Amino acid sequence: MVKLKKMKFESGSSGSRYKAADERKGIMAMDGWKEKLFRHYLTWSCRPVRIRGYLHRILPSSRIPYPAERSRIRAAALQLELHLVKNPLHYVDLMHRRLREAVEEGAQLIAFPEYNNLALLGLLPGIEKMEEAYSKKGEQEAKPVEQGKKVKGSEGKSPAEDISLVEVFRYMSPAVEPLVKTLFSSLAAAYGVHIMAGSYVIADGEATVNRSYLFGPAGELIGLQDKVHLLPLEAEWGLKRGSAFSIFDTSVGRLAAPVCMDATYFETFRILENKGTDIVLLPVANLESYNYWLALRGIWPRVQESPLYGIKSTLVGTIAGMTFTGRAGIFAPLELTPRRDGVLAEVETFEREGMAVADLDLEALQILRSNHPWRDSNKAFYERYLSENSYTASMKEHTLSKRNI
Amino acid sequence: MRVAALSLHGIRMDSSKHYRSDLTDLLQKSNAAAAVIPAFSSLALGLGTGRISAGASFAETVRAAADSGSDWQEEFLALHSELARDNGLFLTAGTVYERENDRIYHTLCCFDPAGNLCCRQRQTHLTRFEREQGLSRGEELILFDLHGLQAGLVVGIDARHPEVGRGFALLGADILLHSGALKGELNCWPQAAGMWAQVQQNQFWAVEALFCGRIGRTDFAADSAVIGPCEITPGQSGYLARGYPHTPFICANLEMEDLYRIRRDYPLLKMLNPQAYREDLFV
Repeated sequence: MVKLKKMKFESGSSGSRYKAADERKGIMAMDGWKEKLFRHYLTWSCRPVRIRGYLHRILPSSRIPYPAERSRIRAAALQLELHLVKNPLHYVDLMHRRLREAVEEGAQLIAFPEYNNLALLGLLPGIEKMEEAYSKKGEQEAKPVEQGKKVKGSEGKSPAEDISLVEVFRYMSPAVEPLVKTLFSSLAAAYGVHIMAGSYVIADGEATVNRSYLFGPAGELIGLQDKVHLLPLEAEWGLKRGSAFSIFDTSVGRLAAPVCMDATYFETFRILENKGTDIVLLPVANLESYNYWLALRGIWPRVQESPLYGIKSTLVGTIAGMTFTGRAGIFAPLELTPRRDGVLAEVETFEREGMAVADLDLEALQILRSNHPWRDSNKAFYERYLSENSYTASMKEHTLSKRNI
Repeated sequence: MRVAALSLHGIRMDSSKHYRSDLTDLLQKSNAAAAVIPAFSSLALGLGTGRISAGASFAETVRAAADSGSDWQEEFLALHSELARDNGLFLTAGTVYERENDRIYHTLCCFDPAGNLCCRQRQTHLTRFEREQGLSRGEELILFDLHGLQAGLVVGIDARHPEVGRGFALLGADILLHSGALKGELNCWPQAAGMWAQVQQNQFWAVEALFCGRIGRTDFAADSAVIGPCEITPGQSGYLARGYPHTPFICANLEMEDLYRIRRDYPLLKMLNPQAYREDLFV
């Protein structure tokens, strides 16, 4: 959830021609020649051959052998601290370092957080000034406005205030997507592990999506998942929501990778359970002050409602005055956790990097599911109250209700 | 509006007269406009007064209660109708076993301040144990007017089935009154995975009364709670009030404008995506 506002467009000396943001639901065209030139540079600096060459020099030549036991999987949920990178190779180093730490713990399945492209904003020239301006703005907003003093025109604005972050992500997409695919494919192949690379806001044709990526141990891209439930702000930005949930049958179980807000709704996990998912990997970036209870909402109750394992990977840290908090963790039905609290492992800090590692027993999960003490199903009830029409009518009613406007 | 959840701890169950007197004291102390009594209260009172014969196990006791005919259940409900009327409040009596034709349902009833039955809700999902006892599932959700709020009743394990909370939310519920019980030692997490979780994803209030005590050598323990969306509760915990098993009752004041505000500021239900559910949600 990011607070940068939509860019207001003007014809500038660079010859840029922009459309009004609202006309395109927050999507603007960054198509001036300077922008085009810089994008060429960005794409060139992130080119796959360069990334592969660099990885070839730093990655190990032989894999760590893993037991081929599918029923027990060691998983790692990474908590990444946000640092802007000035060079794509620094991003490679950062992701590689965290992955290697997980591999050294014996992890076969490793998850990265939502908005994993925020660090790449550092590739933009002048981003530090923008960040500085945002930080100052944040400080100013915290102070009470002096009585009678008016803020005129641009005087009260930070230079970053008019920029749409989603448009920046679109602009960077041609460079970022190949970088991400090359990087995580190479890392997965080098270490022979499954990686959920986190989620990235990228352009998909005319649309912009928040998309997670899953890679297999041969370096293959196993699948993608677009965020199905958007934050109100993401909807305002004009992001396109996903239209279905996918699951991927792998050697470490049947996996799914919905994104952050998708875990707010029980429907996501019920659908994934119905489709046979064993493990949900959930990339998260929560833009809020940390509170235990607020953070408990999401994946923890969902794995209690729909018995499966849940891996929550989190982004923490501050950029442009925005602070992300959270605790990465690995969650399971109460019945499958030693303290009967639904938690297998959880990072202790909510503002610095960390890693949660736990073993997932897929056989125990199947036994629980097949002989569950309280789960039940009531088809007649669902048909009556939870049809698509029921949802649609209620959402319309909710939108129109005077109490809720 | 002031609401209360009662644990029944300290209430004498040896006679209906004592039960009525002790409950009246608690209801008057609570000064609530609506109160909830835990599940299995008809079992506990029936056993205490000798109206139901104790089985060797909890299962046998349930079976005996279900087979005992409707006399005791009707008497139990009549008692709570009078308690609601005499104390001028909405009273959600604990659960009863209701027989209709050859089916038995686990049912929760609520009486209005005039003593009229305003809602009779059958449990819609059953535990494995309840299925083994031969209980049947209800298929209907009922909303009723509770001082201007849309209210619904949640029975037993329905609290752990998010379809129930969502069904009520889609119907427009503002508050759910849950009467339940949890077997075993006290553990707060099954409760958090139940009504607390349903409240957070649907943005309504919930008042939860869970049975504490022993029936047929089976122990039950849980906290009572009044729950709301985290953002509008102290410490953002989602709890407006929370009691321990031996707390006789807990109370909280509900500010409906707070609920409407959080629904406006963070409209969760508006962000549902039913087109993505159509094929796979209820296979």
